[in-house]
Amino acid sequence: MSDDSSTPETEAGEFALGLLTGDEQRLARERLVADPEFAHEVARWRGRLAPLISQADAIEPPPGLWDRIETQLVPQRAANDNAVSLQRRLFIWKSFAGGMTAIAACLALLLAFEPRTRWIQVVHEPAQVVSAPMVAMLESQGSMKVVASWDPAARQLVLAVPGDMAIDPDHSNELWVIPAGGKPKSLGTMPESKQMHMQLADALAILLQQGATIAISVEPRGGSPTGAPTGPVIASGALTRA
Amino acid sequence: MNAAMDTVTGVTQQESRPGELARLLERAAGADKAALKSIYESTSAKLYGICLRLLQDEAEAQDVLQEVYLSVWRKAASFDASRSSPITWLATIARNRSIDRLRARRIPAEGLEAATDTPDNGPSSFDVLETKEDISRLRRCLEELESRARTAIRSAFLDGATYPQLAEREGVPLPTMKSWIRRGLLKLRGCLEQ
Repeated sequence: MSDDSSTPETEAGEFALGLLTGDEQRLARERLVADPEFAHEVARWRGRLAPLISQADAIEPPPGLWDRIETQLVPQRAANDNAVSLQRRLFIWKSFAGGMTAIAACLALLLAFEPRTRWIQVVHEPAQVVSAPMVAMLESQGSMKVVASWDPAARQLVLAVPGDMAIDPDHSNELWVIPAGGKPKSLGTMPESKQMHMQLADALAILLQQGATIAISVEPRGGSPTGAPTGPVIASGALTRA
Repeated sequence: MNAAMDTVTGVTQQESRPGELARLLERAAGADKAALKSIYESTSAKLYGICLRLLQDEAEAQDVLQEVYLSVWRKAASFDASRSSPITWLATIARNRSIDRLRARRIPAEGLEAATDTPDNGPSSFDVLETKEDISRLRRCLEELESRARTAIRSAFLDGATYPQLAEREGVPLPTMKSWIRRGLLKLRGCLEQ
């Protein structure tokens, strides 16, 4: 049957559907970049098939998910330089319930490293006393990339990214804790936002002790496939008392 | 097929208020958090359903759903109502992100490069303007396919199944599955372009 063999049209449809694996998938990806007509055909297939998406049943996500999203909203780049943006940024910081000691410590450090940042304005927030918070300055070749602050009492880890930490769409930055003398354990992939707020499970929380290292590696989109870092480490630092 | 018709009708209902969603996206593009919340309230069940169906894991589906709305927040300005409907744009982001996560899981068998799979093209993926006519035409054209091709195409799209998985599931050799789907795709395209 002549129509059984692969043609550019069927290959584009197969790629749009996500059917291809291994070498076939790699070749199609290369073609997508190199052959505009093929890319256009893939786009046409996506358009043709798009209405199928709605055949998945609607299922209510658990309550509280919106709150998790809201705490991660940062101002869009276009709005960065106006007063509304500043207020929003402050609101994001203020909206963290608890863990303010850790945040204040982290912001104080930001003050030292990034004197131009406007986040410093929150440093005046009254801080509650929380037991032994810790901080790790994640650096790369002398430049500070991320400040991680850890509040053991609340099991809350807050990351602040003062500068740009570029990541291309095909990769994720993955966060690791490496206990002294131990193996790296993933804390999950980082969102492409200026800050991240996570509550750790007991099994992970116990690893965040003085002297443990926090590191970020570049991994395939969605995180390391192996459970261990596979890509270059772009920043790391040791946890110390804040 | 009644089930298929019902679900496609579901799309049509969603399509009855694209104006409202498009306006909300516009407001979200202007950094309006309340607008994003309204978008979340009216679409999160649909998008969570897509993520959960693909990932089959609640925790992962919730992570991805979170990424989806953060992505919508950043990219709302790039939504183009003349190129796709808002719900389709949102659902495509949810599907692409879920497929990425799914592929990342499969890496050990496929090598690292397989992870960098689905480009999150968003609206630029849609060169076809989606209208109610397009939706009903897709429904009609899918009905014209052999049932095994229709089932396989739907499963690839909705469950993220790959060729090897479909062949195994149906108990047929890989070339047979490829032949079913390729013929199905050509027939589908022919029907859609009539």
